[in-house]
Amino acid sequence: MKKIVLAGNPNCGKTTLFNSLTGSTAHVGNWPGVTVDKRDGVYKKTPENVAIIDLPGIYSLSPYTPEEIISRNYILYEKPDCIINIVDSTNLERNLYLTTQLLETDVPVVVALNMIDVVNKNGDKIDVKALEDKLGVPVVAISALKEKGLKELMDKAYEESRVVREGTTVLTDTPLARLIDDVKTALKKQNVENPLFHAIKLVENDSMELNTHKETAPMVEEFKKTFEDNTFGKDFEAIIADGRYKYISKNFAQTVTKKEKDKLKMTPSDKADKVLTHKIWGIPIFLLVLFAIFHLTFAEDFLYLGAIFNFPTLEELGLLTEDGEPINFGVQLLSTFYDGQIASPGIFIDHIWNDLIIGNLFGWLGGLVEDSSLSQWAIGLINNGILEGIAAVLSFLPCILTLFLFFSILEDSGYMARIAFILDKMFRRFGLSGRAFMPMIMGFGCSVPAMINTRTLADDKERTATVRVIPFFSCGAKLPILTAVAGAIVVYFGVGNADLITYGMYLLGIVAAIASVLLMRSTSLKGETPPFIMELPSYHTPQFKNLMAHLWDKGKHFVKKAFTIIIASTIVIWLLSHFSFAWQFLEDEQINDSILADVSKFVQPLFTPLGFGSQLGQYGWVFVVAVVAGLIAKENVIATFATLAACLTAVVGMDFGELAIDAEDGIDAVQSMIMATGITIPALISFIAFNMTTIPCFAAVGTAKAELGNKKSFKGTLLFWFLSSYIIGAMVYTVGSWWWTTFIWTLAIAITVMGIVFRNKHNKVGRNQL
Amino acid sequence: MSVWEIISIVACSLFVIGVITSRVVKRIKGKPTCDCGCDCAHCSGCYHSKVDKTKKDN
Repeated sequence: MKKIVLAGNPNCGKTTLFNSLTGSTAHVGNWPGVTVDKRDGVYKKTPENVAIIDLPGIYSLSPYTPEEIISRNYILYEKPDCIINIVDSTNLERNLYLTTQLLETDVPVVVALNMIDVVNKNGDKIDVKALEDKLGVPVVAISALKEKGLKELMDKAYEESRVVREGTTVLTDTPLARLIDDVKTALKKQNVENPLFHAIKLVENDSMELNTHKETAPMVEEFKKTFEDNTFGKDFEAIIADGRYKYISKNFAQTVTKKEKDKLKMTPSDKADKVLTHKIWGIPIFLLVLFAIFHLTFAEDFLYLGAIFNFPTLEELGLLTEDGEPINFGVQLLSTFYDGQIASPGIFIDHIWNDLIIGNLFGWLGGLVEDSSLSQWAIGLINNGILEGIAAVLSFLPCILTLFLFFSILEDSGYMARIAFILDKMFRRFGLSGRAFMPMIMGFGCSVPAMINTRTLADDKERTATVRVIPFFSCGAKLPILTAVAGAIVVYFGVGNADLITYGMYLLGIVAAIASVLLMRSTSLKGETPPFIMELPSYHTPQFKNLMAHLWDKGKHFVKKAFTIIIASTIVIWLLSHFSFAWQFLEDEQINDSILADVSKFVQPLFTPLGFGSQLGQYGWVFVVAVVAGLIAKENVIATFATLAACLTAVVGMDFGELAIDAEDGIDAVQSMIMATGITIPALISFIAFNMTTIPCFAAVGTAKAELGNKKSFKGTLLFWFLSSYIIGAMVYTVGSWWWTTFIWTLAIAITVMGIVFRNKHNKVGRNQL
Repeated sequence: MSVWEIISIVACSLFVIGVITSRVVKRIKGKPTCDCGCDCAHCSGCYHSKVDKTKKDN
């Protein structure tokens, strides 16, 4: 099968084109650096099927970061049959810089002028024919987003893939042309593929080339001794870059006709940027936007209207029966968005899903099992071990999807890239560049792709620090822990707002990440903060198709997990909680004699400083089980609570019916834990904080191991995760329980900071003396 | 023990073993074990962890 690669600058629409050509749903984002690895698909509308390979975006073929190396190596060594060079038509000159390099390879090239619809809309024009003549390769105007011109593009690419091409260069008018020609001839004699490309890179002083073509390097060095450019001296890379840009501006500028515009008039994007990237207001606006998202997703009292206007409840309106149930289906529907307060959109969807779908479905299934002729243990296994665990996890699907819908809107609109820009100044003080923010924000979705995305960071130490703090950005799997525990605090203790607690915990994660980075970059991972240059994409209305693709991804991932690893885990937990070491079956009431209880009680004292250890008494070990189960997948924490809730009910004689508690809902499962153990609010907050910042799930741990590369760094990372979460949990618990411990923690932090400053100063003096 | 109870035990055991085995197989094959099915966001990168870390000087 022929291989056609998609290559181009970051954020020029490669993945959008890839999705359109192959019918894939690869992640697309309106910021540079979304794709960090090659991915392939099949295009079926050419005479024979062709493989399409989507490569990470690159500005040139002289790579700096690991994902740029992937692109270069694929083009040079994987023998593609054709390159489709995607060019952002709205920024033609800059994009053609890469084109001039791709033309130097012997691979056939077709240039795709993407976003031509935007160019036309702006009133500008590009002379495609003239551009084609100048470049010497086919040029096709397309719109990947609107799927226009794609058939013509692929037909041209297929045609080109059947011809043999020899590389051409635009550097023929530079003073280095002769040297390039000589080196090319020498390489050709050595049967090197793509000799022109390698010759130019050798002349450029490309370290990868110097290592590969050691025999030819002296020839270049000899020439360099006798050559000096008036402007750039002996900086050959600069001479070549200058040669390319001169050629581009001289030859290609005339192919673009720009509409006469008032240069002083700001575009809508500029106007928005003036506010959103303001040096003072930028960060507060970001925090406000973040709060708005959490409020829209988690607030029971939307815009606090209920508190302001004191609306009557359904009970006061006489719409509930004596049992507190709605009098009819209409009232049940009304209760999904109103009961003395108006529910936020997220909570409204959540009520629809849980009250009308999950509650009824799993209640019905549970009833079927209950009414069957199965023995009590089998009913327990199916109802408590499987159904309640899975229902508790699935109950959070609406919240997760709503939250990620808002995050996807921010990402697709181009605002996320702005946040990286405004945070750069602040991050720089802590030893990171703003670029590190992009993988961190991706951590809100899932730590695995976020850690992979750190490949866009050129500095290894910055990368390690970023990988380590990514789990602090609470991922979708941790959301059930946050929502269930925060919800239980509000419902059981009657304090606070779920949206404020959730927002506060997200902020705690961000603050913990910043403090940790500061600590690492001042001690074990010291180093220069790399410069940050990022092209800010234009704002645009989020694409419905993209948003739905993101949500589909997220939903599919979550449901798949619930029906595989979560069920498997809850079955194992149920078995371990219903069998003793003597392998005797135990009734629910005997849970404290189970294997699970015996093992967990052994570890329980370790969590005493965090508030969910020995002080919780004989049933406190359930929190230990939840923490350990969370290492497999974070959704397991709530699934574990739901599985064990039924047992604890039997043990302590809690009447769920009277308290309107139903373990099929994660919030209710946490309430049963609170009732059984007497855990306090600070300990619950500490439990959330610990789970948010501790060692992530197995998949993320595996990814961190692969991405960090060396064992020492990985072991250090595991230790860092455990220690930092332990300290954060202990701090939250002690400060929440005894306010005066704030002074002790402040003193401890001050001593640590002073110690680091003194150590660094001392080392600096020592080095200077040497 | 009724037939349904035996079926429950066998089904649960097979399910747990199946989940664990599929994860082990995925790991051996070098694929991610995060259930993304290798077609979500950026996960195609997972198994290309050993990238050439050679970087350009200067």
